[in-house]
Amino acid sequence: MISRRSVLRTGAGLAAAATVGAPAVLHAQTKTLKITTWGGKWGDIMKATVLPAFEKEFKCTVQADQAFPFMPKLQASSKKDPLYDVFHTNSNEQWSSLTEGLVMDKITAKEVPNIADVYPYAVSDKIVGVTIFTSAIGLGYRTDKGIPVPKSWKDLADPKLAGQRGGYLIPVNSLGQCHLMMLGKIYGKGLQDLDAAYKALEQLKPIKLVDFTGQMEKMLLSGEVSEGVIHDSGVLRYEGANRQPVEFCSPTEGVMALEQVLNVTPGSKVKDLAFSYIDYMLRPDVQKLLAEAVWYSPANKKVKLSEKYDARLLTTPEKVATLIQPDWKWYNARKDDIDARVTKILKG
Amino acid sequence: MSAAANKKPFDAGRAAYLALNIVLLAFLLVPIAIIIVFALNPTPFISFPPVGVSLRWFEKFFASSDFMNALWLSLWVAACVLVLSVLIGGACALALARGNLPGRTFLTAFFMSPLMLPAILTGLALFQSYLLAGIGRPVWGLIMAHTLIAVPYVLRTTLAVLHNFDHRIEEAAAALGASPVRVFFEITLPLIRPGVFAGGVFAFIVSFDQFPVSLFLVVPKSETLPVVLYNYMKFDLDGAIAAASMVSILLALSVVLAMERLIGLKAYVKL
Repeated sequence: MISRRSVLRTGAGLAAAATVGAPAVLHAQTKTLKITTWGGKWGDIMKATVLPAFEKEFKCTVQADQAFPFMPKLQASSKKDPLYDVFHTNSNEQWSSLTEGLVMDKITAKEVPNIADVYPYAVSDKIVGVTIFTSAIGLGYRTDKGIPVPKSWKDLADPKLAGQRGGYLIPVNSLGQCHLMMLGKIYGKGLQDLDAAYKALEQLKPIKLVDFTGQMEKMLLSGEVSEGVIHDSGVLRYEGANRQPVEFCSPTEGVMALEQVLNVTPGSKVKDLAFSYIDYMLRPDVQKLLAEAVWYSPANKKVKLSEKYDARLLTTPEKVATLIQPDWKWYNARKDDIDARVTKILKG
Repeated sequence: MSAAANKKPFDAGRAAYLALNIVLLAFLLVPIAIIIVFALNPTPFISFPPVGVSLRWFEKFFASSDFMNALWLSLWVAACVLVLSVLIGGACALALARGNLPGRTFLTAFFMSPLMLPAILTGLALFQSYLLAGIGRPVWGLIMAHTLIAVPYVLRTTLAVLHNFDHRIEEAAAALGASPVRVFFEITLPLIRPGVFAGGVFAFIVSFDQFPVSLFLVVPKSETLPVVLYNYMKFDLDGAIAAASMVSILLALSVVLAMERLIGLKAYVKL
């Protein structure tokens, strides 16, 4: 028998279930874009300003993963339902990801209109996806240690710097890998002259090695290293109130490019939103904000930076021409052999 | 007798024993001392010798919502893991020690196996399993993963207590009319408590410090403290890392001291 009380109880239960369920329904209607992004100052600006503005404009939610390692997580997830929609890494990892079919091979201005305004290096044949920023890999040095101001990559081999020079663990750091290729160019026939590079690397011993990119600037700041391989952003940010006795040198032979690359995963369920995000990241106002926060050179030609940033970053075709882009496809194909060889050279 | 006659002869063996203990203690404690120095040094990079004393890195740590959210999540996960691993590990230990189960040696090795696998592989395997099962990476999934790693610690310490357990006490209680449930709660449980609690302390600390498993199982905005510290370190290697380490050490120490108040550290020594 159905009593009045049981009807009321059932009704109340259904109403409660509907109330609890409502936010879930609303949430399901809001698209979620899953991206990878850096931490540190970059991550702070992204979380505080850039991503909330994107979410508001595109009426979506962005889930930004800052927890490394990105690539193994993407590899472990299904290609049909990838863990990320937009993959932000340096160029070397984009090439590895392409080999495994984890990212798209090319992004054009058709999908991302702002690509029409980027410097050629940002979409060159050395890039998978699109570069949104680049740093210049050169030499950082202390200005208070009485060492000669470096001008060439060869200056790092100065015997006076024995035990005071810094580099990276080549198997795990792309700056170290870039440096190795640059040694091939400086002392041999080109970036791919590994024999010359190995020989030159031998001459750099003793050298202090770090694994994380950010560690080198701390080694320079603490004075543990007097001169080392570093990207310009790691030195240039110590200006004004943060002034420290460190300076950056763009060697005359050219600087290596450390690109920040965005790409879309082929299995993404929100591909249009993913392209919109890349387009948004290439907008001049967004580019200016991030470039001036972390001292990265913007890829968009139309960006007008404030004077002090414009003076030091790669913001003209002439300055951009000093960038040397490595062939990561070539490097990755030999990585295991290179790792074994450099480990043998630098062990101990 | 003269004072010279009372004087003990120099014991070279005892002196070597003391020296070895001092060296071992220094080996264990010097890293903590270095962390304290770095945490209090005001320079924006880790350097030695320190140039002064400042609490700026502690302020930065406690003012950061990222660090605080991670700290609370780590504490919450570790507390859940402590409870779950004590329940599961304690029950498994009793079953293995008392159950006359076939293949007991195999089962013991099976339960201990999470300790033998590299944790990074456990993390990766669970990550893939969760994704294949379509459950994503919920916090309860992280708790289950930590519990998997923590259970062997409770199992080991409880089995150690059960190994020296005098069954005659239980038999006497039963002979005097106590029901099996009453025997368990009034005789068995109080006697194995030191082993279970010691395992619980290990479980808490193992979960709180867990990095390789968490690395694959955390989601954006719900990251545990070790993962947040690792990612922070990749971009900002400053004293906040040392301050966070100090807070972690103090928290772990608090747990151990709380356990000492509850059951006494002598109980651990017996193990």
